[in-house]
Amino acid sequence: MAFNGNFMCTSFKKELLEAKHNFLASGGNTFRLALYTNSATFTAATTAYTSSNEISNTAGSAYVAKGVALTNVNPSASGTTALTDFADASYSSATFTARGALIFNDTASGDPSVLVLDFGADKSASNGTFTVVFPTADASNAIIRIA
Amino acid sequence: MIPSMNIGLPDDYKVEVHTSNGRGFNPEEIAERCADKILSVSDSAHPAIQQQAHAFRQRIVKLIEFYLADAVQNDRTTVYNALTDAGHPELASLIRRL
Repeated sequence: MAFNGNFMCTSFKKELLEAKHNFLASGGNTFRLALYTNSATFTAATTAYTSSNEISNTAGSAYVAKGVALTNVNPSASGTTALTDFADASYSSATFTARGALIFNDTASGDPSVLVLDFGADKSASNGTFTVVFPTADASNAIIRIA
Repeated sequence: MIPSMNIGLPDDYKVEVHTSNGRGFNPEEIAERCADKILSVSDSAHPAIQQQAHAFRQRIVKLIEFYLADAVQNDRTTVYNALTDAGHPELASLIRRL
């Protein structure tokens, strides 16, 4: 199996209505970005973080299990659309290859998943920096939007 | 009609992944990324607006690039002094020459 596109997890949508996720920059939950090989089998039905098929370092120790903690950006509104964003996520001194990622809530019980991200192809860094760049935080492109 | 709530990813949604090999990103590369966060213009905007936005973006990139490079140089000065004070002049010299 392989990555097959980007998904907002269905369980996340349900959990939003149960107030399980807080995206505030101060006092909000900790969301993490874990990286995976192309053997990962994520879909919209994915419900939680898993270490299965998570990447490992080819060299060095830049990547640790569960990946990097994301920096929340306070939710805002643009017209009638509410949106939130994360600061770009970087791994420095990185030597590894990843095909996609899973954003999950590390604060909530059970590490519930938020988004599945498909990079479209294997992305590699060798003794360099590996950065995931989030889209523009506006009403048309923000990573999480409620319209 | 009853109002409804839509939540999801944009249809053409795609994160970008930037990588480097054997080095970190340089000020030019980071400035480009930073400008994208500051300014974006719709493909459907009036051509004159698009032209103005792109011209403005080029100026922003150059400005950010300049100050990022300045920050790097200043940080190297700080590191150089810290290494010299700690008794590692050869290492400090190596940092200064980067």
